[in-house]
Amino acid sequence: MDPIRVGLIWRRIEGVVDQVAETFLRAAFSVVVRDNYDMAFSLFDSQGRLIAQSKRSIPSFTGTLPRTLEAVLERYPVERLNPGDTLISNDSWIGTGHLNDISMIHPIFRDGRLIAFAGSTAHTVDIGGAPSPTARDRYEEGLCIPICKIVEKGEESETVVDFLTQNLRQPDETLGDIRAQFAAYRDCTAKLMEMLDDEDLADLDGVASEIIARSEESMRKAIAALPDGAWCDTFQTDGFDHPLTIACKVSIAGDELTVDFTGTSDQVPWPINCVLNYTQAYSRYAVKCLLDPEAPNNAGSLRPIHVIAPEGCLLNARSPAPVWGRHLSGHYVPPAVLGALAAVVPERAVAESGSPLWNVYFSGKRGPADESFVKMYFMNGGHGARSVSDGPGCLSFPSNVSNEPVEVFESQTPMLVTEKAFIPDTGGAGRNRGGNAQRIGFRSLSEAPITMTIRHERVTYPPRGLLGGLPGSAGIDLLNGEKLAAKSRTVLKRGDEVVFQTPGGGGLYPPQERAPEKIRTDIETGLVTREEASRTYGKFD
Amino acid sequence: MASSTERRGWRIGVDIGGTFTDVVLWNDAGGALRRDKLLTTPADPSRAVVDGISRILAREGLRPSDLSSVIHGTTLVANALIERRGVKTGLVTTAGFRDVLEIGREWRYDLYDLNITMPTPLVPRDRRTEVGERVSAAGEVLTPLDEDSVVAAARALRATGAEAVAVSLLHSYRNPAHERRVGEILAAELPGVDITLSSDVSPELGEYERTSTAVANAYVLPIFARYVGRLVDELRSMGFAHDLLLMLSDGRCIRADIAARYPIRLVQSGPAAGAEAARLFGELADVGDVLCFDMGGTTAKACLIHDGEPERTARFEVARETRFAEGSGLPLQIPAIDMIEIGAGGGSIASIDARGLIQVGPLSASADPGPACYGKGNDKPTVTDCDLVLGYLDAGSFLAGRMTLDKAAAEKAIETHLAKPLGVSVVEAAWGVHETVTASMAQAASIHAIERGLDATRFAMLPIGGAGPVHACGMAAKMNIDRLVCPVGAGVASAIGMLAAPVSFEVARAAPVRLDAFDAAEARSLIETMREETRALVTGAGIAEADVGYRVSAMMRYVGQGYEIDVTVDPSRLETDGAEMLAAGFAEAYRARYGRVEAMACEILSWRVVGSGPRPPLGSALGGAAVRLVELPTPTGARPVFFGDGFVETPVYARAKLSSGQAIAGPAVIEEDESTLVVPPSFELIVDAALNLVANRKMLP
Repeated sequence: MDPIRVGLIWRRIEGVVDQVAETFLRAAFSVVVRDNYDMAFSLFDSQGRLIAQSKRSIPSFTGTLPRTLEAVLERYPVERLNPGDTLISNDSWIGTGHLNDISMIHPIFRDGRLIAFAGSTAHTVDIGGAPSPTARDRYEEGLCIPICKIVEKGEESETVVDFLTQNLRQPDETLGDIRAQFAAYRDCTAKLMEMLDDEDLADLDGVASEIIARSEESMRKAIAALPDGAWCDTFQTDGFDHPLTIACKVSIAGDELTVDFTGTSDQVPWPINCVLNYTQAYSRYAVKCLLDPEAPNNAGSLRPIHVIAPEGCLLNARSPAPVWGRHLSGHYVPPAVLGALAAVVPERAVAESGSPLWNVYFSGKRGPADESFVKMYFMNGGHGARSVSDGPGCLSFPSNVSNEPVEVFESQTPMLVTEKAFIPDTGGAGRNRGGNAQRIGFRSLSEAPITMTIRHERVTYPPRGLLGGLPGSAGIDLLNGEKLAAKSRTVLKRGDEVVFQTPGGGGLYPPQERAPEKIRTDIETGLVTREEASRTYGKFD
Repeated sequence: MASSTERRGWRIGVDIGGTFTDVVLWNDAGGALRRDKLLTTPADPSRAVVDGISRILAREGLRPSDLSSVIHGTTLVANALIERRGVKTGLVTTAGFRDVLEIGREWRYDLYDLNITMPTPLVPRDRRTEVGERVSAAGEVLTPLDEDSVVAAARALRATGAEAVAVSLLHSYRNPAHERRVGEILAAELPGVDITLSSDVSPELGEYERTSTAVANAYVLPIFARYVGRLVDELRSMGFAHDLLLMLSDGRCIRADIAARYPIRLVQSGPAAGAEAARLFGELADVGDVLCFDMGGTTAKACLIHDGEPERTARFEVARETRFAEGSGLPLQIPAIDMIEIGAGGGSIASIDARGLIQVGPLSASADPGPACYGKGNDKPTVTDCDLVLGYLDAGSFLAGRMTLDKAAAEKAIETHLAKPLGVSVVEAAWGVHETVTASMAQAASIHAIERGLDATRFAMLPIGGAGPVHACGMAAKMNIDRLVCPVGAGVASAIGMLAAPVSFEVARAAPVRLDAFDAAEARSLIETMREETRALVTGAGIAEADVGYRVSAMMRYVGQGYEIDVTVDPSRLETDGAEMLAAGFAEAYRARYGRVEAMACEILSWRVVGSGPRPPLGSALGGAAVRLVELPTPTGARPVFFGDGFVETPVYARAKLSSGQAIAGPAVIEEDESTLVVPPSFELIVDAALNLVANRKMLP
């Protein structure tokens, strides 16, 4: 196929996916989708191969959805799919690793023939049950929706909708988001048909094969450019009641790369375990970012990358392990891969960021009618320093969750945000400094008690610096000025105030190499105090 | 000359671009359109405007007092932001929130780029101050304003030398009282410093985007206000008696005194007018789907007009860190016509990048010193220099001979900076630059269309701007577009667009209410007030009251959603079956956008009233005589022009001498005062009834 034509069709496909994601966002009923962008929209060809994903998406979701589609097809082979069907599931082991992410698959037909699948994943704040930082198995964590048809031949299934309505605390919001995705599938189908007509194509498979092959070749070339060998990175994480170990070995043989987590701690009886699908997604994502960021991401990019995690370890938990906070282990996967490969490509190194992603759940009563609510708020830490520049302050990595505007949060919650600001001296020192962390405070204005749940990492072990750079600062949780356990549930009375300080990004290369004018700017802007600068960098002016 | 018979109803449109200032004059009663083009005067842009107006009036024997309106657009605001040439700006926020401007939304606009660059805020951290106060989401004061802290903030800002200050307090879109009081205190403490309140410039929920919009407004305000003030004074002293109107980014108008307070709403003023012109030209040529390609001195932009309507947007970005990457710029919450920058302009400088490939822009020689061939001291080659060397432009006939180009200087610049380092001839280097610019614009424009789900090949290309017609055929060929419409006055299209657009003002009011609690009488009275406001604005711009038309709409959504859709409202039905009308209108609009409706409650967020004057019948002025039999026109001369394989002796036609029905086969060059259409050998064109040049790709080579 003419490469120029393939390029244009591919860009059009990407454009369609982005526009369709926008349709979903604009019709969405939840803040977590339309303000936090905790979602992804992907397109697959008739063979289930990933072709493209929306620009606004969570990297792990784009990585886990191919397995979800595979599982859907195992349960409902193609011959059992009809035009107008939409399938749904939030099973942690075939999805993103916890029940709060609901995935759906919508087969697309043309002239009665299946030609593609649209797929999307969206976070829902409440999924029923009693998810808690101390849940002991998956059954406590809420409703598991088995793979089923929520829409069959264009008709919504009353049974499925009734199950959801009866099991969720905020069914209007969750079902509103689900239906917003129905609107997106319809939009996607119409736009794809128009494109196929314009391009005079019967389906997407030819173009898909072409771009998948090109992406695969591109990734293989990038891997082959590195020397053969194996590199390791091992570090501690806070864990639940004792520190845990993430052990990662990256080996390169020719144009194939293997990430192996053998040696990682065993799974634990607390909800910080991670499923293999999520571990694989973030391993491949890290390799893609580091080695081949520019080629289109699709099934081809993923093929040369193999991921091993022994069953029963923290990063490949066996059911029915509790997994609600699976990112508390899973978000360590990219830094482990980047850490191991820093020795191979020091000129592309990235220090650790202030993640696993921080968030907080509040539940209580709101409004004159004492309506119950469940609300979550995301807070990013500082980004790790990069080889070309300092790490940006408060930037989401490896996830890509936006913050919710304070004004939106306060309009939905009987709470006041007391502060949202950079914290000085939190970015790890180095020739390139880590990004600053943020401090964010919440005060309860509610007569009724508010239950607050937190699950935070990097309180004991801060984000590491790399290649001589110093670590960023550790995170802190405070209730009325007193330290609070990082994985805990607390009841807030009216007037209680909680303050969270996210972790700062790690620095890169030795601090002695930092340019004096950059240190002076840091002091001027107040991102680094004069005292801290003298202490870390010694003489600079 | 019309002046002897018609002394009233004359209107002027003026567009300031980075390189040229365009002036057009027209009488609403009909008659021909007069136009002129001058070099922009960057040190004091009002000079070229005043000179241009004087010159065109003198030419027609008119006086400034004969003018009923002057409508003006400018790229000053956009350029000040892109080039970061605004004033030293300070920011005042609610205590605890000064970093909102820099923290932004915490997301990465490129998923895979580990070295991603986030936009640098216009106000650095040491010029961001905080005041004690707090308003709740419901608009209640939780903590009264600590006025001492405002005085302290003012002093701190004074010490930093801030020349403008933005104030953005939490929930000010709901209750602006604290922001207003802060504004008063700052005005007293900081005489001579311009203050922007976020609740004035963008009264919308979302502290980051609102603050960003307010800060951008403050950043350009002193420069723009000085400029507009000077212009109003000079027009008045010339004898112009009416309101000076400026064109907004969405193609609507605003009075000069209001514009001086909200310059950010003019960020896309000139290009929006260009889109209005393209719509008009498309209409004349009977083409509903138009790709408007606007290439001026500094940038090239593309805008899609689909079914006769330009695409619109309510969110907007300027000064992107990564060219073409959405999310990498400074967000602005202003209504705008949706267009994208697709590349460089005629004044953009060509150089050789690290990979040894030709790179064009982003640096521009703008108007002063301008391209090397302007002979004003720039020795670096620009796109215009290359177009001159290739024979597309002529040294003697540029701007109708009012400006002579120095071809030797162009050759020398290309030789020194491109040809020698690349080891090629001057002509080869010039062709390389021309092809690079054209190909990258073609690609960017195709992607823009594709991303909106549209197929660019089905559109007609409408090149405007001084450099547009020079590059248009080449670009169309690369985009697989077969048809071009090159309108009369393509080189001054934005200025024409200012006259073509109806005088139009929009007033919006937030009044959130669930439809089941909707109070028809209240809505009716609010809408009446808004209509009255709009009426005053439109009639103030010289439109007779009887000619004002109104469109009323409600912004609605399902309870729980975050985005609204625009629902047209018939105000006369509000008190009879208002709720039913709104419910039905919402369902219809929702279904059109999303293909379904939900069984859920809906709500109204705000009302909008747009008051417009009649659409000026400019088409008649641009239209020509009826089509005659096809005949071949006589060239005015010939010159060698380069078309990839070598120079071809190419006939040159004067556009002013062409009449409808005439046909020309490429290669050809059609010159008019402000621009030049280059027709490669693969194209042929005819002059249509409206005197547009309609170029088609030859079916057979």
